[in-house]
Amino acid sequence: MKRKAVFLLLMMTMTFLLTSCWSKKELTDLAIVAALGVDKTKDGRYHITLQIINPGNVAGGMQGGGGGTQSPPITIYSASGDNVVEASRRASGRISRRLYYAHTNLVVVGEKLAKEEGINTLVDAFDRDPEFRNTSTLVIANHSSAADLVKTLTPVDKIPANKVLKTLEFTERKWGENVKTSLQEVMKSLESPGRGTVVSGFRLDGNPQQAQKLDNLQESAPEATLRASGIAVLKQGKLVDWLYKESARGTVWILDKIQGTDININWAGKKEAIAYQTVRQKTSVSAQVKNGKPHISVHTRVEGDIGDMEVPVDITNPKVITKIEQSVRKEIKKELKTAIERAQKNKTDILGFGEVVHRTRPNQFRKLKTEWNDVYFPKLDVDITVEAYVRRAGLRNKSFLSGVKENQK
Amino acid sequence: MPSFFKDRKPKKKRSQGEENQTPDHQIERIQVSLSDNLNMIKQKTGNSSDVVIREIKMGGDSDIKTAIVYVDGIVDNQSIQEYLLQSMMKDDHKEELNQYNAIDLLSKDIMTIGNISSVTNLDDLFASLMAGDTLILIDGVDRALSASTKGGEKRSISESTTQMVVRGPKGAFTESLGTNTAMVRRIIKTPDLWMESLKVGRVTKTDVTFMYIHGIANDKVVKEIRQRLKRIDIDSILESGYIEQLIEDQTFTPFPTIYNTERPDVVAGNLLEGRIAIFVDGTPFVLIAPALFMQFFQSAEDYYARFDIATSIRLLRIFMFMISLIAPATYVAVTTFHQEMVPTTLIVAIAAQREAVPFPAFVEALLMELTFEILREAGIRLPKAIGSAVSIVGALVIGQAAVQASIVSPAMVIIVSITAIASFATPSFDMAISARLIRFLFMIGAATFGFYGIILCLLMMVVHLCSLRSFGVPYMAPFAPFIPVNNGDTVIRLPWWTLRQRPRLITTNTVREGGNQNPHPPASRGMVNRDLEEGDNNEA
Repeated sequence: MKRKAVFLLLMMTMTFLLTSCWSKKELTDLAIVAALGVDKTKDGRYHITLQIINPGNVAGGMQGGGGGTQSPPITIYSASGDNVVEASRRASGRISRRLYYAHTNLVVVGEKLAKEEGINTLVDAFDRDPEFRNTSTLVIANHSSAADLVKTLTPVDKIPANKVLKTLEFTERKWGENVKTSLQEVMKSLESPGRGTVVSGFRLDGNPQQAQKLDNLQESAPEATLRASGIAVLKQGKLVDWLYKESARGTVWILDKIQGTDININWAGKKEAIAYQTVRQKTSVSAQVKNGKPHISVHTRVEGDIGDMEVPVDITNPKVITKIEQSVRKEIKKELKTAIERAQKNKTDILGFGEVVHRTRPNQFRKLKTEWNDVYFPKLDVDITVEAYVRRAGLRNKSFLSGVKENQK
Repeated sequence: MPSFFKDRKPKKKRSQGEENQTPDHQIERIQVSLSDNLNMIKQKTGNSSDVVIREIKMGGDSDIKTAIVYVDGIVDNQSIQEYLLQSMMKDDHKEELNQYNAIDLLSKDIMTIGNISSVTNLDDLFASLMAGDTLILIDGVDRALSASTKGGEKRSISESTTQMVVRGPKGAFTESLGTNTAMVRRIIKTPDLWMESLKVGRVTKTDVTFMYIHGIANDKVVKEIRQRLKRIDIDSILESGYIEQLIEDQTFTPFPTIYNTERPDVVAGNLLEGRIAIFVDGTPFVLIAPALFMQFFQSAEDYYARFDIATSIRLLRIFMFMISLIAPATYVAVTTFHQEMVPTTLIVAIAAQREAVPFPAFVEALLMELTFEILREAGIRLPKAIGSAVSIVGALVIGQAAVQASIVSPAMVIIVSITAIASFATPSFDMAISARLIRFLFMIGAATFGFYGIILCLLMMVVHLCSLRSFGVPYMAPFAPFIPVNNGDTVIRLPWWTLRQRPRLITTNTVREGGNQNPHPPASRGMVNRDLEEGDNNEA
């Protein structure tokens, strides 16, 4: 009996070991793709650009010391194919390693492709692939091809994909004219009935040829740089408009994705005299349907601090504070209105009003659904109410300007 | 299939035949003639030079031939001198003494030594001689007196070297069994502290004593231990490890099922929980059974420190144990299977380090772990003077040269170091060493199936742990079977006043302390100043 058991155990161990290292992938055999750019070629095929990390040049430090500046931290490979998967497989002919997409945090879509064909057909490949993350950020190249954007070398953050992601993250938090949209969020809003989609835009400032060179980074003020620029408006997956400035911020505001920004108000005849930085804000959208006509009300509540004043203002006086608050309200309301009007002009409900109606009146929305973007949304009545409060005034109460003014008298 | 069983039956018969021969041998008695006896002793001991035979004459006419026999070195020379020889040679009873009453007179009136017994057969005679007793043989009497004169050089009590504490008693056991049992006796002053002694080892005749507290220890376990100890039939017992391996429940397991310690306070604590301690002469390591898995993570200091500190340190220890088990395996799994689970910047950093390393991660990990084990083993056995050389070579070769030569990556060095340090954090050396062994299994699992392999190995380990028993007590108690009351003293240690019960599976008497033990300080914080007169505290 014992011999039999030993024999059996041996057989089991063997099967265990004979699997060897199934699905093993050594780190040195992987080409870590940091970013993927998709463009359209002239003959209508997809052209992908892969930003592959050169680990030795990024991590540097361990051997050479300062290292990393001699050779670029990334290498670009590109390939074309009838679909993304084909292109990716075809690219293997040029790369000595297996392409590894699990760390691809950035997908860039060329403006031309987004405008002409839309991103709908692309997304399935990303969604289906087990390696690819749905949480990776989708960006549309603003006024350039995806390839140029992906090829650009960046200072500070050595991996360009990281630079793009971090820029989006922090500008969203501090300035609020951009959004960071993941593949998952984009897919969700593409699916949602009568909903337009917003995608963050990124732009290459400067000469694309210069942007690829390491020389570009040798300067303290690089000639060619990447910057977050605008919000792309997608209607049924196709790019229809770019939002900038007030309309962009208003949109972010209504989507309740804003985390902080700065609003300037006029005071005592001087333009943009007081800077108001928001700290906490909440936007809620509610809908009513009267006589088959939907009606939307947007309510925003903002709390913030005074960041700067260029004219002496006596903020120890509560009445003055109230007045500042009212001006801020007006300013914000204006921005929201601009955003809504722009969306209505585009006939694209990027603000998610349709969803709100759907949620409150599901039965009635079913009738409106088909014509929502083209008929109902552009004519929508929107009520905007804004509450704004000044909570703090920084380290100063009365500005030192007040003292200057008094002494000059 | 039948071929597997071909040669099994004949083997059994042979072993049975051997057993039958052993038990019968006749008992030899001590002879009447002194010279015969002395010759016999000389012959039996091979004329060994350390067997001292001193012939003296007693009685009024110095006509009673007597001999004193002892083994030099293991007897206390002073007591032989003062209490034996002096009293025998210059005594007032000389006139009364004759051949027939010599033995009785010696033991009752003459000798001023504590423990004296009469021996009739040769087996007992040699046993007591070799144990350090002094024999008194008288011509014409077929009995001998054995006077207890055990002594000689022994190590004094010193500080524990294997289980050190910051707070708590410092003394550790010595090689002498009598000292060891006394140290425990000194802590537990109850007549219920019972001891049983027996001699184990056909040649060495080692004293083995097991100790338990009557009324707290489980009688069934005591009986089982007695039986298992009696069953031992081996030529020698040189250390308690022999006993441990001969009486443990399960040989084929990396986990120790009997605890050992050299601290008297640990033994006392365990006795008070109902466990049984086995002392073996010649070693400071005392065995404690039944042992539970959690016991190997508990240090004596846990009970002396306040409960919050003790609890967090215990949690840390378990965390460290897990690290020492699976850290290299996790590194292998992550770098060969699950690169997606690491933040991008970290995986890029690891990839950069691995870029020039020619081996797969598993081989790299194996190489480093083996090198470390070699260094550790080499470091233990080396004389102190050379020991530092090993650590320098180890630190330089492994820490730096190997990395610079691109044989291993710096990340791997970090992993190996943290694993090594973690394995030292387990208070029990036996448990740490088993983790050291299992670590390689985990690494193979990780190299084969990644995280799935690690989980598989972990699962197998837990199942195996749950199947173990130590003297009938489930090894994983009080987790499996789950006993809520006893969980206060496992991975955590609750305050003493909540630990009202002893481990239920080990002891028969579970009540440890009375209720309402939690401290009740008086509500008023002003009590310090109460005796002062009013206005006193306004001054100064």
